[in-house]
Amino acid sequence: MKRTRSFNEVLLAVENISLSFGGVKALSDISFDIAKGEIRAIIGPNGAGKSSMLNCINGFYHPQQGAITYKGVRRSQMRPHEAAEQGIARTFQNIALFRGMSTLDNIMTGRNLRMKTGLFWQALHVGPAAREEIEHRRAVEKIIDFLEIQHIRKVPVGQLPYGLQKRVELGRALAAQPELLLLDEPMAGMNIEEKQDMCRFVLDVNDEFGTTICLIEHDMGVVMDISDRVVVLDYGKKIGDGAPDEIKGNQAVIDAYLGVSH
Amino acid sequence: MLYREAGQFKTTYGADQQIFPILQDRLFVLAVIAAAVLVVPLFATQYLYTEILIPFLILSLAAIGLNILVGYCGQVSLGTGGFMAVGAYAAYNLGLRVPELNNLVIVFLFGGLMSAAVGILFGLPSLRIKGFYLAVATLASQFFLDWLFARVKWLTNYTPSGSVAVGETSAFGWKIDTPAERYLFILAFVVVATVVAKNLVRGHIGRSWMAIRDMDIAAEIIGFRPLRTKLSAFAVSSFFIGIAGAMWGFLRLGSWEPLAFDINRSFQILFMVIIGGLGSLLGSFLGAAFIVLTPILLNQMPGWLGVGMSTALISHLEFMVFGAMIIFFLIVEPHGLARLWSIAKEKLRLWPFPH
Repeated sequence: MKRTRSFNEVLLAVENISLSFGGVKALSDISFDIAKGEIRAIIGPNGAGKSSMLNCINGFYHPQQGAITYKGVRRSQMRPHEAAEQGIARTFQNIALFRGMSTLDNIMTGRNLRMKTGLFWQALHVGPAAREEIEHRRAVEKIIDFLEIQHIRKVPVGQLPYGLQKRVELGRALAAQPELLLLDEPMAGMNIEEKQDMCRFVLDVNDEFGTTICLIEHDMGVVMDISDRVVVLDYGKKIGDGAPDEIKGNQAVIDAYLGVSH
Repeated sequence: MLYREAGQFKTTYGADQQIFPILQDRLFVLAVIAAAVLVVPLFATQYLYTEILIPFLILSLAAIGLNILVGYCGQVSLGTGGFMAVGAYAAYNLGLRVPELNNLVIVFLFGGLMSAAVGILFGLPSLRIKGFYLAVATLASQFFLDWLFARVKWLTNYTPSGSVAVGETSAFGWKIDTPAERYLFILAFVVVATVVAKNLVRGHIGRSWMAIRDMDIAAEIIGFRPLRTKLSAFAVSSFFIGIAGAMWGFLRLGSWEPLAFDINRSFQILFMVIIGGLGSLLGSFLGAAFIVLTPILLNQMPGWLGVGMSTALISHLEFMVFGAMIIFFLIVEPHGLARLWSIAKEKLRLWPFPH
């Protein structure tokens, strides 16, 4: 039942990343890579630096040391819109949707980097502007169908229940047609059915669109089931890296989660 | 039962994305515009034009401009009066110094463009400061512009009192001097400007403004550039406000001094936007109507009811009742009159059933 897949090409590699806020070391000397096409999980206890790691990858935090190599280009840091332009999209731990806008508009914002018409045509809303709007609407409708959220297309997202908001946020990230999708706790706070749905979407995105996925998740059942490789952080340090089965048997990981007597 | 959208199926995305997807809404708006063009001139008096319709339309346009900035992009501004002044003085100076271009359409657009440029300049701090602090920063622009037009005599053509007067007002050979002509000219301008504003807010530029308003960090992460987005909102907003300012000077006042665009004007427009509904173009019109019409109604009411009252008492009552109404509306519906209107429409769609 568990798929074993092998990957050759490295899409993103972080090398010796260190990040500190004042005297607090959030990440120290972390290195790992994400292969093209895989589902990579980052796990670890609370405060281990998982979200900080994602924030470094998409340029929201700038690590003091280390380098990030993405698609063969080595950078000491990313910038947010540069990451977006290079095909990195993400969702957030606590939902970061645009609450005043409808589901449709939220997902449309995911395509902003592809919409080019200027102020003049936008003001008239004819010609290129109208064509562009319809062309992107068509792409967005595919995502709406894929995520099965047709019925809430025109509902302001602020009124939606939590599970659906998570789904809309995934839709917004998918609308950018990313090569690398970062998911920060996509299943947090969900019930079992919602988790199953979300797992299905993550696997389908990976299978159908070939999107590489890096996800942070606390539900070990989910992580061990869907991810190809797992990296484990604890107190900003990497304590394990490997296939789910190796991680399950890793003594350092077990100690980090269950505690150890000193 | 008339307000039903059943049976109106959309088969293309274009049809689904039009401004008024429901047929009845389209007919209603066309009827309102037709009535404003054809029916109003049949009975309107000079008083109705100069004291009610013209101020209502011009201030609606200013409110649309401010609503783009505050309601759609979330950047609070108290500099509206100053930007109106820029539009008015820029239009005045172009007409004065380049007589060949003394055409209302051209000078108004020039006023709008100058105002947009000044808006971009004063929008720069918005990258670093937010919310109330930005409001205070824009207040500085209001005071600076007040000072500029009072002190730099070239801008007022060295008139001793600092008050300027416009000469002939015409557009493409059409001499616009009777109140009815002014009204129709302003109406045409406002209708076009409203369509432009609607097109902008429903397209990707409008979505970028709303994204910045709702969650600026997420907006940046998915690729919007905060500075460019905010400055485009300042520019478009100031453009509309500048045109409204030029209209106010040319077609409402005829001659004015810097006091016409002081801080009170800024507050008045901001109240229109808040009471009408943040992030709603219809709200801009409703807010302007409320602020322009209610004091006049309250002032006339005792006379109509045959209650004998002193003028002083009437004007005191006017302030008290007006203030109470503002508080009442804000408590009943903090999202403004536009939300009340959409709730009413929702009820009408279901009528006679409760849900």
